Amino acid sequence: MARKKQLLETAETYVSVSMKVNGVPCSAKIEPRTLLVHFLRDVLGLTGTHWGCDTGNCGACTVIMNGKSVKSCNIFAVQADGAEIITIEGLAKDGQLHPIQEAFWENHGLQCGFCTPGFIMQAYWLLQQNPNPTEEEVRRGISGNICRCTGYQNIVKAILTAAEKMKR
Amino acid sequence: MNRLHDIEVYSPKTLEEALEILRREGDRVKVIAGGTDLIIQMKDGIMPRKNLLNIYSIDELRYIRMGNDSIRIGALTSFTDIASSALIRNYARILADAANTIGSIQIMNKASIGGNLVNASPAADSIPPLYVLDAVLVLRSVEGVREVPIQSFYRGYKKLDIRSDELLTEVRVRRMAEDEDGIFLKHGLRLGDAISVVNAALLVKWDGDDRFKDVKIALGAVAPTVVRARSCEEALTGKELNDSTIWDAASKVVNDISPIDDVRGTAEYRREMSVNLLYIGLWEIINKRNQAGW
Ligand SMILES: Cc1cc2nc3c(=O)[nH]c(=O)nc-3n(C[C@H](O)[C@H](O)[C@H](O)COP(=O)(O)OP(=O)(O)OC[C@H]3O[C@@H](n4cnc5c(N)ncnc54)[C@H](O)[C@@H]3O)c2cc1C
Ligand code: FES
Ligand code: FES
Repeated sequence: MARKKQLLETAETYVSVSMKVNGVPCSAKIEPRTLLVHFLRDVLGLTGTHWGCDTGNCGACTVIMNGKSVKSCNIFAVQADGAEIITIEGLAKDGQLHPIQEAFWENHGLQCGFCTPGFIMQAYWLLQQNPNPTEEEVRRGISGNICRCTGYQNIVKAILTAAEKMKR
Repeated sequence: MNRLHDIEVYSPKTLEEALEILRREGDRVKVIAGGTDLIIQMKDGIMPRKNLLNIYSIDELRYIRMGNDSIRIGALTSFTDIASSALIRNYARILADAANTIGSIQIMNKASIGGNLVNASPAADSIPPLYVLDAVLVLRSVEGVREVPIQSFYRGYKKLDIRSDELLTEVRVRRMAEDEDGIFLKHGLRLGDAISVVNAALLVKWDGDDRFKDVKIALGAVAPTVVRARSCEEALTGKELNDSTIWDAASKVVNDISPIDDVRGTAEYRREMSVNLLYIGLWEIINKRNQAGW
């Protein structure tokens, strides 16, 4: 909350941004250089999107913006003005996990879980582009996401399983 | 890291508005396109505090079109769009292949070709292909339009031929001809999100006798700007192509480059990798042609 107050009140020049996040219209006046990841986490309270390296390398902050996966630590909220954003919170519907979430759970695609929202959002984009990926294509698709725990095997397995589930 | 606040952001929706702001503000604003380079530089404090001119929503700068004898690419076009464009894959394959190696999917989705060019890292992966494809950069201001050949755009390490009231709006590349083959090669420390330790683009024109009538080779990350490997090109043009001529030519690349030691590798390693990359690349081009039944 302290962070939210800071973002909203200390700016010398505020800018208004509005975007649709997980289908819900949101708008706020913010500091112009607020990163999208902070807007989502601190202004909207959607802390499912994680903030790791802050240098565009780890992928923990991956969200979908206007249909494309992007790293939200590497984008200003003002650049997303008018955009449609999907975060990890937008995947489960009516208490039902999304098939990708289910597949990560069933295949032990996580240990500490820090990287997981980013991997799931990247997998979401990947499977939209290519519903039938090979293992090689999955590995290439998630090369912008880093996991320090799992060794990736189960993440790849989870994404391949999710592809099967989503065909059903 | 710096906190990034108390600055002004202009977000024009049209090119005309953007150029007007640039005329008025000049050096007081910094253009931001995808932001994949700039935001990190701002956080690290490398970038002086400046107001931002956010061009990311100027959709009229996103396109790939066939021109008279060139392909025209809008400066904001993302590398995802470049890598998947049928036009570019058919007529400027080297650029499509390079686009496919820029960062990871998430970076390709947002990073623009204009940002890659104006950020002017010596390791930028789109620049070597654009050198061998004789790219022309279109710079616009309220005053008018300038067309600058890519090799004269770069005057030294991050020294560019662009004025503070100008925006890069378009990149034009020549279409590859039927008798031309090319390849892009990149050596990074991992496959995703890896900045090149050395990269190279090769473009060859065949004559009727399975020799090279013309060769263009450009390398990145081995000098303050991308460089052409002239000694190597000369050693290949018109020569019979066998293992010894190719190895000799590839070895000559050390005369054309001036690499430094940095976090990604030593100068010595870069010299050796440059020779190896060219040797591998030349054989790949030759083998591909042989397989195609020539
Ligand atoms: C994790 C990660 C991995 C990366 N991997 C690679 C890689 O493998 N290969 C590679 O080459 N790069 C890589 N990059 C660097 C970067 O993504 C590219 O250079 C990208 O193309 C920059 O484009 P942008 O639109 O994000 O530019 P910005 O960051 O918005 O701008 C970069 C510079 O260009 C200026 N500028 C932008 N557009 C214009 C314009 N139209 N007219 C005038 N000035 C302009 C800006 O003022 C700024 O100085 C990587 C970056 C990250 C964070
Ligand atoms: S926090 Fe965004 S890529 Fe690591
Ligand atoms: S599960 Fe811990 S970082 Fe991936």
